[in-house]
Amino acid sequence: MWHKISWRLLRHELKRGELTIMAAAIVLSVTAVLSLSLFTERLQSGLLERSAEFLAADRVLSSRRTINENWISEAQTRGIKTAERVVFNSMAFADGELALVDVKAVGDGYPLRGELRTASEPFGAEETATGLPNTGEAWVASALFQELSLVVGDSLEIGNSQFTVSRVLTYEPDVGFSVFTDSPNVLIRYDELEQTGLIQPGSRVRYNVLFAGEPSELDAYEEWLTPQLNEDTHNWRSIEDGDSPLSRSLQRAERFMLLASLLGVVLAATAVAVAAQRYCQRNYDVVAIFKTLGAEKAQIQKIFILHLLLLTLISISAGLALGWFIQAQVIEVVADQLGASLPAAGWQPYLLASATGLVSAVMFTLYPLLRLIGIPPLRVLNRQLVGTDKLRWLHWVASAGTIYALLLIYSQQWLLSTALFVGGAVAAVLLLTIGRLFIRASRQAGMQAGSAWRLAMAGLQRRAQANSVQMLSFATAIMLLLLVLALRNELLADWERQLPDDAPNYFIINVAGNDVEALQQRLNERGIVSNDMYPVVPGRMTAVNGVPVRDEVTKEAGGDEADTATNNAEQREGFGRELSLTWRDELPPNNVVTAGQWWGDDPQPQVSIEQEVAERMNLSVGDELEFNIGGNTFTVPVTSIREVNWASLQPNFFMIFNTATLEDFPATFISSFNLPPERKNELYDLFKPFPQVSLIDLDAVMEQLREVIEQVSIAIAFVLVLVLVAGILVLLAQVQASMEERQKELVILRTLGAPAKLLSRSVTYEFVILGAISGLIATLAMELSLYILQTQVFEMTATIHWRFWLLGPVSGALVVGILGRLACARLVRRNTAQLIRKLS
Amino acid sequence: MLIQTTQLEKEVTTQDGTLHILQPIDLAINAGETVAIVGASGSGKSTLLSLLAGLDIASSGDVLIDNVKLSDLDEEQRAKLRADKIGFIFQSFLLIPSLTALENVMLPAELAGHKNAEQQARELLSKVGLGERLSHYPNQLSGGEQQRVAIARAFIGTPKILFADEPTGNLDSTTGHKVEDLLFQMNQESGTTLVMVTHDAELAERCQRVLRMDSGQLTEVARDVA
Repeated sequence: MWHKISWRLLRHELKRGELTIMAAAIVLSVTAVLSLSLFTERLQSGLLERSAEFLAADRVLSSRRTINENWISEAQTRGIKTAERVVFNSMAFADGELALVDVKAVGDGYPLRGELRTASEPFGAEETATGLPNTGEAWVASALFQELSLVVGDSLEIGNSQFTVSRVLTYEPDVGFSVFTDSPNVLIRYDELEQTGLIQPGSRVRYNVLFAGEPSELDAYEEWLTPQLNEDTHNWRSIEDGDSPLSRSLQRAERFMLLASLLGVVLAATAVAVAAQRYCQRNYDVVAIFKTLGAEKAQIQKIFILHLLLLTLISISAGLALGWFIQAQVIEVVADQLGASLPAAGWQPYLLASATGLVSAVMFTLYPLLRLIGIPPLRVLNRQLVGTDKLRWLHWVASAGTIYALLLIYSQQWLLSTALFVGGAVAAVLLLTIGRLFIRASRQAGMQAGSAWRLAMAGLQRRAQANSVQMLSFATAIMLLLLVLALRNELLADWERQLPDDAPNYFIINVAGNDVEALQQRLNERGIVSNDMYPVVPGRMTAVNGVPVRDEVTKEAGGDEADTATNNAEQREGFGRELSLTWRDELPPNNVVTAGQWWGDDPQPQVSIEQEVAERMNLSVGDELEFNIGGNTFTVPVTSIREVNWASLQPNFFMIFNTATLEDFPATFISSFNLPPERKNELYDLFKPFPQVSLIDLDAVMEQLREVIEQVSIAIAFVLVLVLVAGILVLLAQVQASMEERQKELVILRTLGAPAKLLSRSVTYEFVILGAISGLIATLAMELSLYILQTQVFEMTATIHWRFWLLGPVSGALVVGILGRLACARLVRRNTAQLIRKLS
Repeated sequence: MLIQTTQLEKEVTTQDGTLHILQPIDLAINAGETVAIVGASGSGKSTLLSLLAGLDIASSGDVLIDNVKLSDLDEEQRAKLRADKIGFIFQSFLLIPSLTALENVMLPAELAGHKNAEQQARELLSKVGLGERLSHYPNQLSGGEQQRVAIARAFIGTPKILFADEPTGNLDSTTGHKVEDLLFQMNQESGTTLVMVTHDAELAERCQRVLRMDSGQLTEVARDVA
């Protein structure tokens, strides 16, 4: 019988709109979690797929020695696609001229992600290549055409082999940003590599195996493979590993989406919590009547648990449908805009969303429901009775535990969840305290004001306890909204700074010292803005503090050689190769000194090194480095360590010397400049007088970067809207809850003849004040959280957001005031008799 | 003897000391009697009613309903006793706002597990003149109509005792009289024992016995029984 009563109550209440806020809160939490996780999952795999092009694969294993064949066949048996790629430097001869080239020998299937593009003549129209060069043929970068005065069909000699130059290589997905070490590229087939006779023991060769496949298969393979890898000789990479220009942007975007979604989830959960409280309060009388009519506790428990479960299940289903729909719409817009198709997501988001709805509904209702069931039947005679409040601590523990669990489930990151949770708890206590102080202070101010204001202030003061809790939820909602908004602006601005419209899209290298002025002038004449010319001196680092740096691995590197000297030597392995050294008086833009000091006019020989290199080689300020440039050996102390923004499209260097140290060595120069795509045809003419200058085209890479950032921006806008809706719902639930508390007082005032205008004004003012104070506190809390997030999570520079100090209180006052006024308007529209009846 | 109290007392402890709401009360009500409890506001009428109905617990003394000592029962057993033997009518009607008139009346029978709750409820509603308004919600009914629904609800389990707390207190006098008539008529038909708390002397006069509550002390008002 109880299930009938339960279902009947639910049916009528749904129809009468009494459960709307509670249902809406659950629907929203499910919708938010589902659409966010579906969308982020699909977008992320889309982005990863797109950015995998930078690797030409999903994962790359590289080594200086040949890679174990068993590892490759294991991958293939697991259904993972593989392709070989071997890269080395060699001299290429054509018609008696010679040039240093980067030879890339690739196996069938290359590239596994992205595409190769070629043209029939240098700077000609490019086409997507459908396969690899035919046997006996080579595809050659346009720079080499210039350098060796080649035409298509010429013969090119590499090692013992002769290749016919059949196409101009215009785009390789994995060309990367490493401008200096890459000489013009020559692409040949992997199976023709051996014939060249260039691969000898001790040759400086990089062997790569590319992998592509399903994420789950790749993860499983990675788990199988990585324990077998030798950290010093093998390098296992994915696009997320941080050495691609995209990875930083991607990681930030991911962190932002995760954070914003978490905040959205917390907001939606807060809405559920507020609504659950009200849901139970509304039923106090019903339970008292049930008990008076003879219902047993167990019956009442069953009735309300079923009622809540049914409501939750219906809301979850509606939330799933709505979430799927919204996400599908957004994906369609994204796909339309970017012409990209996004892979479908798995079932986890559905599970996650349903769990969120269920957990928040059950956990936040737990205590109110306990109280509800404990309502004494005597309430039918004494309406003030609300039962025991002794277990209130249980409510706080359950609510806090639920929020923490949701954070944890959603982010699967202990640290982030704990940081957010503890930060939130501290903020809540602060907010409560400040809120109380504000309310107390506002009373003084109110005494001087007109009657509506005075009434409002008196109301604020009288409900100080309730108001400070309300203010907590107002402030939390406003703060989270401001936070997401500010963070979004910061991220977008940061990306824009990184990729302005006039970002350099060409690098020029190999500019002879005596051509610098002429080239600069030629660029200026055509209105092309270029970066500074950086001198480049090739040199080797030969020793650190007197200990020689090995160029190549000369013996098996084993785990048993654990002493520091050996470890250092291994870590320094590879840095003995030729490096691009430069000199400069000022610190380059986008470089930050993190240790030591940049030189001023100090003419003493010294060097500044890039931070990651310093870490990898265990170098610190004061170490003495020995360099060999063209047979001349000299020693310089490290006087500073720099952090370099590798994503900035400008020449960046591992080693920078002061001018006095290097300026007498012969150098070539490099620079970068921006040329709009429609002026591409000017390039040939522009560089004709400088045949030895090589040009590197970054347009394609930048295009990729722009597209990815655009996708991420859309995603962020979407997240923002969802968080906004969640925030408004919290505000709405809270205003409605507090209106119920005010109702009685309003009815009395109305009965005593207070004009509707006075009442609605005083309520509006009360909410305006609450909203403004909440907004102000929210801004303060937002500023603090943002400082921590920017500096600790997003690795950005923290700033103060002055506009928000106005936006916070004003928007808080406006939104909360309007919602309050609307809620009040409904009340004062009714006539007094109706009101009294409603109350009794 | 259907209702009996012995030395029934109720005290509450406040900041200013102990407040004696009910002085020791000995009372006996026979089956089928109609009893009015009158007295000023705050005299303890409603407290006595709540103790008699097992809604509240006495500080000392006993209440016996149909020879069952309420102090021996826990809350669950008291609820069961109410479901089996007691009906209620309140000043503020106390209908469940989200249930229709029919469903409100069915509720006690359903809670007690009666099979033909709906049939009984329909009959009772047509008896109180609301046969046409079965699917109306309380807020769609007038005060008098709501109280008639409450009367129908009170009689559905054919209770032995009916407790009424100011049953016409929220109604205008014309409607109040109609509701009184209905209440007494149905009470007579079913032979239920009626215990009613009221301010209304005229209403009290219609009961066989009138008890006066004054500062927690109960005295029988001597009168000619018509």
